[in-house]
Amino acid sequence: MKLLNWFRRDRLEHGLDGELQYHLDRRIGDLMEEGLPESEARRRARLEIGGLEQVREEVRDVWLTRWLRDFLYDLRFSARSFLRSPSFTAATVLSLGIGIGATTAIYSLVDQVILHALPVRDPERLVLMDWKGEPVATGFGSWNLMSYPICRDLQRHDQVFDGVLCRASTTVTLSTDGAPEPTAAEIVSGTYFNVLGVGAVLGRVLGPNDDQPPAESAAVVLAYDFWRTRLAGDPAIVGRKVLVNQFPMTVVGVAAPTFRGIDVGEVPALWMPASMSAHALPGFTNLLDRRTRWMQVLGRLKQDVTPAQAQAALQPWFKAMLVEDMGLPGFPRITAQRRQLFLASRLELTAAPQGHSSLRRRLSQPLWVLFAATAVLLGLACLNVAGLFLARGSARDREIRTRLALGASRGRIGRQLLADSVLVALAGGLCGVALAPLAMGALIAFLPRDTAATALHSNVDVRLLAFAFLVAVAAGLLSGLAPALQAGRRSLASSLRERTGSGGGVRLRKVIVAAQIALSLVLVIGAVLFARTLTVLLAKGPGFDTTSLISFGIEPRRSGYAPLAASRLVFRIHDQVRAAPTTSASAVARYPLLTGGSWNNQMTIQTDRRIATDREANLNAVTPGFFSTLGTRIVAGRDFDERDTHAGAGQAGPRTAIVNEAFVSRYFAGRNPLGALICVGSGPDAQPNIEVVGVVATFSYRGLREESEQAFFPMLDGGEGVDVGGAFYVKVRGTPEEAAQSIRSIVHDADPALPITYFRTVNEQVSRSLNTERILATLSGGFGALALLLSLVGLSGVMSFVVSQRTREIGIRIALGARGSSAVWLVLRDAVAMIAAGTAVALPCVWAFGRLVESQLFGVTPTDPATIAATTLVLTAVALGAALVPAYGASTVNPVDALRAE
Amino acid sequence: MPPSRFPIPQGTLDMLVLQILSVGPAHGYAVAQRLEQISRAVVQVNQGSLYPALHRLEQKGWLRAEWKASETGRDAKIYSLTRAGRRQLAVEKDSWARLAHAVRLIFNEGGQP
Repeated sequence: MKLLNWFRRDRLEHGLDGELQYHLDRRIGDLMEEGLPESEARRRARLEIGGLEQVREEVRDVWLTRWLRDFLYDLRFSARSFLRSPSFTAATVLSLGIGIGATTAIYSLVDQVILHALPVRDPERLVLMDWKGEPVATGFGSWNLMSYPICRDLQRHDQVFDGVLCRASTTVTLSTDGAPEPTAAEIVSGTYFNVLGVGAVLGRVLGPNDDQPPAESAAVVLAYDFWRTRLAGDPAIVGRKVLVNQFPMTVVGVAAPTFRGIDVGEVPALWMPASMSAHALPGFTNLLDRRTRWMQVLGRLKQDVTPAQAQAALQPWFKAMLVEDMGLPGFPRITAQRRQLFLASRLELTAAPQGHSSLRRRLSQPLWVLFAATAVLLGLACLNVAGLFLARGSARDREIRTRLALGASRGRIGRQLLADSVLVALAGGLCGVALAPLAMGALIAFLPRDTAATALHSNVDVRLLAFAFLVAVAAGLLSGLAPALQAGRRSLASSLRERTGSGGGVRLRKVIVAAQIALSLVLVIGAVLFARTLTVLLAKGPGFDTTSLISFGIEPRRSGYAPLAASRLVFRIHDQVRAAPTTSASAVARYPLLTGGSWNNQMTIQTDRRIATDREANLNAVTPGFFSTLGTRIVAGRDFDERDTHAGAGQAGPRTAIVNEAFVSRYFAGRNPLGALICVGSGPDAQPNIEVVGVVATFSYRGLREESEQAFFPMLDGGEGVDVGGAFYVKVRGTPEEAAQSIRSIVHDADPALPITYFRTVNEQVSRSLNTERILATLSGGFGALALLLSLVGLSGVMSFVVSQRTREIGIRIALGARGSSAVWLVLRDAVAMIAAGTAVALPCVWAFGRLVESQLFGVTPTDPATIAATTLVLTAVALGAALVPAYGASTVNPVDALRAE
Repeated sequence: MPPSRFPIPQGTLDMLVLQILSVGPAHGYAVAQRLEQISRAVVQVNQGSLYPALHRLEQKGWLRAEWKASETGRDAKIYSLTRAGRRQLAVEKDSWARLAHAVRLIFNEGGQP
């Protein structure tokens, strides 16, 4: 409100003038009536009021506090002087804009993925439960897995919890009106919405009653976004039936608009109660099994209970539960050693205001690395602007000296310079905020579309604006500090004595350039490390031939098929795809490759002795011809054939297996694996009765980075072989598009209501699996290039300045017979010193940063000498090149001109 | 012997201005004249500090000002008390009275051994 006075100061001034004039005129009139002559009356009147200008100043202070007024004048002055030098302004604003934009964009993702608390009531009281130790259980899902019964147990602990929920994310085949589609869903306990404090915008949310298998129809709650976009916000949706995996369920409500589940990476379209898990996960009957872990359990702590207190309070119950569990029927027979580990397990509680997310687990490290990189980039931009300001400072030397001589205080001039940089930074901040959404959009485009499209957004919200503003002010202060201090330090006498510029300014600029070189070296080395990681992984490949290989998936169990029928359908489609003219080979696996997940378990191996594997092997079931379709070699024994795929009479499961070379070298130690007996599981009651008939070359299963032990079983025709479906791998003739058409029609003919869950070339799958690596390589490469550019600009700027300062000296030297090359060296010596100093500072930093990025690298160590040496050399060469241009200019100085210039 | 005119105590100028204007609207010069009459008798007011005081009180919303024809016919900026200003004057009068009372009590006590 006082600030408003700034904008109407002209009117205020005018009013004050009139008011004072009136006062004077009246006083003069009165005094003259008393008999004073006019000149004397005028003098007296002015004297009484005590100096008109002083009164005006005092009144102005009333309008607007003095420091604020001065600062506004400074800003206006800055703005005017910036408008007079547009190229300087553009350079500084753009430098900071790029720095602030990049930082803001990465921060937005950091905020969305890592920092943002769930939009629920008091998220800071939420804790995530985790089982530390040996759970003696089978499981599926990502992290922090627990069983449903444990969640029920924990709900009774109302001395520490206000409530406990459990949830698991899954994909269901959902039909609302049109064709059935694979849709993200969350299976939750009846307490879920209540504990989170999330309500319904329409109808009701799920409640404890939904934990009982319903007499009539199961209830589901829709997500607001799904309801709005896919169902056009139909107000009559409550009470309607939808088909979940072909099972009818009733929509009872739509959840609150802001709520998008508790996992930022997997936004569900609907929530359904755990009591319906048999329909949500076809074939799943272990809801009440204490040894099946598949859900995340979160609790809401009572007011004033800390996670540590709650954890301590729960341990006695947890220990007792372990002992009780062991006595229950159905508890697996385990070795004494494993029993010990089981009994040593404990329950761990961690604060989880952001919920649970596997996306966060996967992305948080790369994001922090990128955030650190943008911070370095911003620092560099600040240094660049500081350098430019110093350069301008020496150009403005005359003006500043004059102001000092006229009595301006150093503080006042320093403040003026700070106002300059704050103004530039704010303009840069605006520029950055304009750039940030573009950068965010580009960033999100790197992520797999299915995750990114639903989960992350590129909007600029208030939090982000506040962040950008703070960053801009900090950047402004940072880049203005050096020039301001420089101005403050300059003594009047010495600056009047000096002829041009000041030695201190140049020294400071050299330090800044050295720092810039150090920062950009760190960034460029990081970029090279990430680029090499990506190249190594791409060159290595998945270990099989991906040319003309496409992959698609079907999940008949999610479309209401019984296990046997599902298996028959998969084999029927498989036969038809194989026979199609557009394909040359086809095979089916139970689980897809390169998606980050796998079926895994410990194994028991029986040769002349019996051993259990010391870690989990990755398992899969495949049809005959799988390995040849992928183009991998069978190095010993044979592939599966018809004998293996028919369900045997005496044995329910498979009778044969193929293991990979990694498996052989870890567990067979030179003995012949063929004929050995193995089985899944490592307990004393495991019965190795599956014969190893072949050994296959190792290829990537979960992702390109790993070369794990793998075992393959035949996919049984008409057996219990199909969990939910099959991942088809098809070698096509001609283009993938032609084959895609015929394959889609084969699947459609087999069952028009069966959705294809995904359809892509394996090359595409490979590149998807390298998303994180690609983001890191591309972005750090971009940051590195920008950094290099900024510091080269800085370097050549300082060099040209040095040359212009020493023109006279160089002219004299040349006049006295010095050769051009020695003049070049005279200038270049400075550049070499700056580059050497920058490198010396950077190398220890590289070593320190290396630890941060180590886990993101592959096939190269963070302190790889070749990378560091090559990068340093290239950077040095480029920097010297940039310095050479002004240095060459020095050698061509005409001594006569140089001497005459003064 | 104490001087017959002593400098106006810090902060009381605002109160005096409010008091003068509580009688009726007036322009700056009229306020100054009234102050002059008071100060001739008791206190010494610097004319120069009047205008900052007027603007300060206007800024606080205790005074309202408008340009109107004055008694001489020429336009002048006429100040008048707002409702908030009237309340403020009451508050200041009250606290002044209490202060004066308290000081008197202390002096009386000191006077009686």
